[in-house]
Amino acid sequence: MKNLIGRILVGIAILASSACTKTDNYDGPNASLQGNILSSEGGNLLTSGGSTTIKLQQIGWTTPQTIPSKFDGTYEDSKLFKGGYKIVPTGGAFWPVLDTVTVNIGQGTKHDFTVTPYIVIKNFTHTLTGTTLTLTFDIDAPIIAGLPTIKDVQPYVNTTKLVGTGASIRDFSDLNAKTINKAFIDMSAAEKSITLTVSNLIPGRTFFVRVGVRLSDSFNSSNFSEIVQVDIPKS
Amino acid sequence: MKSIHKLILTISVGVGTLVTSCQKLNIPPTNIFTPNIIYDSEAGVKSFLATIYRNLPIEDFKYRPDGGEDVDVNGIHYSHPGFNPGNPWMNFYTSASVTGEEVGPFGGMDIGAGFGFWPYGDIRNVNTLIAELPKHAAALTQAKVDALLGEAHFLRAYYYFGMAKRYGGVPIITVPQDPAAPISQLQVHRDKEEATWDFIGAELDLGYKMMPETNDAGRANRYAAAALKSRAMLYAACVAKYGSVNFVDGPAHSQGLAGIPAAKANTYFQAAYDAAKLLEGHYSLYTANSDKVQNFADVFLKSGSPENIFIKQYSIANNTAHSWDATMSPRYMTANALSRAYPTLDLVQLWGDLPVTNSDGTPRRFNDRSELMQGVEPRLLATVYFPGATLRGLTFDMQRGIYPSFSGTAAAEVAKQPNSRLYILSGDTKTLYQGKQVIGFTGPWTGGDELTRTGFYVRKYVDYNKPQASVDLYRSEQPWIDLRYGEILLNRAEAAMELGNAGDALTSVNLIRSRAGATPYGSIDLDKVRKERRMELAFENQYYWDLKRWRIADVVLDRAHFKGLMPYYVFNENKYIFLAEPELYNREYTFQKQFYYEPIPSGEIGKNPNLLPNNPNY
Repeated sequence: MKNLIGRILVGIAILASSACTKTDNYDGPNASLQGNILSSEGGNLLTSGGSTTIKLQQIGWTTPQTIPSKFDGTYEDSKLFKGGYKIVPTGGAFWPVLDTVTVNIGQGTKHDFTVTPYIVIKNFTHTLTGTTLTLTFDIDAPIIAGLPTIKDVQPYVNTTKLVGTGASIRDFSDLNAKTINKAFIDMSAAEKSITLTVSNLIPGRTFFVRVGVRLSDSFNSSNFSEIVQVDIPKS
Repeated sequence: MKSIHKLILTISVGVGTLVTSCQKLNIPPTNIFTPNIIYDSEAGVKSFLATIYRNLPIEDFKYRPDGGEDVDVNGIHYSHPGFNPGNPWMNFYTSASVTGEEVGPFGGMDIGAGFGFWPYGDIRNVNTLIAELPKHAAALTQAKVDALLGEAHFLRAYYYFGMAKRYGGVPIITVPQDPAAPISQLQVHRDKEEATWDFIGAELDLGYKMMPETNDAGRANRYAAAALKSRAMLYAACVAKYGSVNFVDGPAHSQGLAGIPAAKANTYFQAAYDAAKLLEGHYSLYTANSDKVQNFADVFLKSGSPENIFIKQYSIANNTAHSWDATMSPRYMTANALSRAYPTLDLVQLWGDLPVTNSDGTPRRFNDRSELMQGVEPRLLATVYFPGATLRGLTFDMQRGIYPSFSGTAAAEVAKQPNSRLYILSGDTKTLYQGKQVIGFTGPWTGGDELTRTGFYVRKYVDYNKPQASVDLYRSEQPWIDLRYGEILLNRAEAAMELGNAGDALTSVNLIRSRAGATPYGSIDLDKVRKERRMELAFENQYYWDLKRWRIADVVLDRAHFKGLMPYYVFNENKYIFLAEPELYNREYTFQKQFYYEPIPSGEIGKNPNLLPNNPNY
């Protein structure tokens, strides 16, 4: 009996030792890619959730993956597989980038893109009167010919610094939108100088506010202003 | 001596083996069906056709535009099949509930990227049928073979139409592929979108030419081919006309895989018009009942209607029954289950504003909720259950809450923050306010979505004759009318209008309007034709595709919110008022431009990289 148990144990030992001899020698996703999306008009292109993404396609694979940009126009993915990738920025309010760049992504790879925004927001000011916030700004276009129609302009108001499309309080934001539906070239100088108001903000709260101009391009994408902090005094 | 014996023995064994082994193994296998068994008899072909019909991409009661749950059929696993999904009772997952015809269980535009529909397995079945049938003319007769071939061309077109409207150009495969062929032959490239629609048109022409005038219920006849052609060519025409203006750029677009040159639009409009005209005199609108409300309700319930061109049938006995009755009406009026999709006020207002507000802006006072239905077009009353309507002896007693008293205008009241509104609400139907039930048995309430969120319920296709006790899951057998003459008249009117033939469009639309109990139009334009289509075909899974082919979905569904009409009881006046308010979940729906085409399924691209480039933005 002892003999039998011994034999069984020996058998198990042989099986166990022979079963797992091969080790996984494939590298984990230890490569990374990061960088800036620069605006041709200076600084980073300001983006938002559901806006600009970096599209990557690993060479030899068919399914693309994407890295969403951060609100300040930077992007980073630290869990990529090492290899050659075709990369291109897409989904934001800038003139389409048609040339994909091929980048060999390893550890700590950096790559910056420069894009030409559809619309640039200038002279952005904000004035608080009581609980009503008045926002003024001018819009300009680096390239006018062929610019998609401008759909609307609107404020984005949120209680955190993450403020933009899909991250805003609807009653303060979407409902204060102004419809334009006009080509930039047909807009008068007065129409390019825009005032938006947000009323009935809640006293004693802090809000983060920016404005956006939405275009009728392939993504219905928006150009954004910088984000400002607005403290509403207690009444 | 011994060795000789051994030698003899060896030789005899050897010879014996050789002699016996030369029997030819020439009996047909008894455990599989050979082609002759299937194709030499009509019954055999019918059994093969049953599978092809079952999988046909008919967007019926059970269709799940989000793909639905996985299912195993005869040991084959289908993930997110869309058509014939697992647990197919949830009939409220409608495409109407992302387009604003209804609001429903979808949290937003959840169906835009499709579910990876890729029916080449079914197309292979049709291709096999088309390849085999001509070899069996002796057994079946040539006439029978031709009729069946015509049916097969119709079915193949139906499958390709299901793909073309989702993906644009797809590989056109017309013969069964040989699995042993070199992989380069198996990995077929996409055809252009234009070629795909032309193929569909040509297949349907063959179907029309070869099929008989009539066929079994649930199978196609020659007019089903013409009817489907009018639908398909209208889609292609609009892709050419509107898709060449509103499109997302990308390699698939510039290569013609997603998009058709604008110059082709009129050819397709003409083809749609001609195909629709073929049905004239052979089908007619259902007008058996002189009561216009009852008549329009019966369009979707009476068998033998002269309007039905192609239907899909269901059977409790065969376990294929659907659950429309149990999932479109509240549990209060059924024996089981729940509802989750509700018509919006936005849909109802297509027929014009309801008289719920006085000229000074105050809500009009009603003695009884059912007074709201006075003067409403019969077709609308047969499409939507209004507050005060009855079903199975029970009243739709929609009541959102009670105002102890009400003053001021409707607009001012609705604009208030909820916590400053002086109404009484309740989380259940049992709560009373001074002896009066606060919310109706049929809702609306916000505690869940199994009671209306809009103040309305779907009526179209609901079998009002079914006793309440038998309104249960998988107990509804009314057929889905996939092609009806009402749609064909609207296809014809739209094509005529696009071709500049307003007179013809007016005649068709007024036929529809007369049957509906609406005032006929004196003049017509494209907006009127489109609006008539929305009203006539509401909840029939047409509007989603209409929005897509007109290329207006990204405008209509741009951060869209939809409204309901909430009935309240004003206690001190003993009257009812109706307030137009956001539907109770106030969900948002945004159609992204890339959704005009769905992405080619990534698993298929993995198997066949020649399907690239994918549609723009995927």
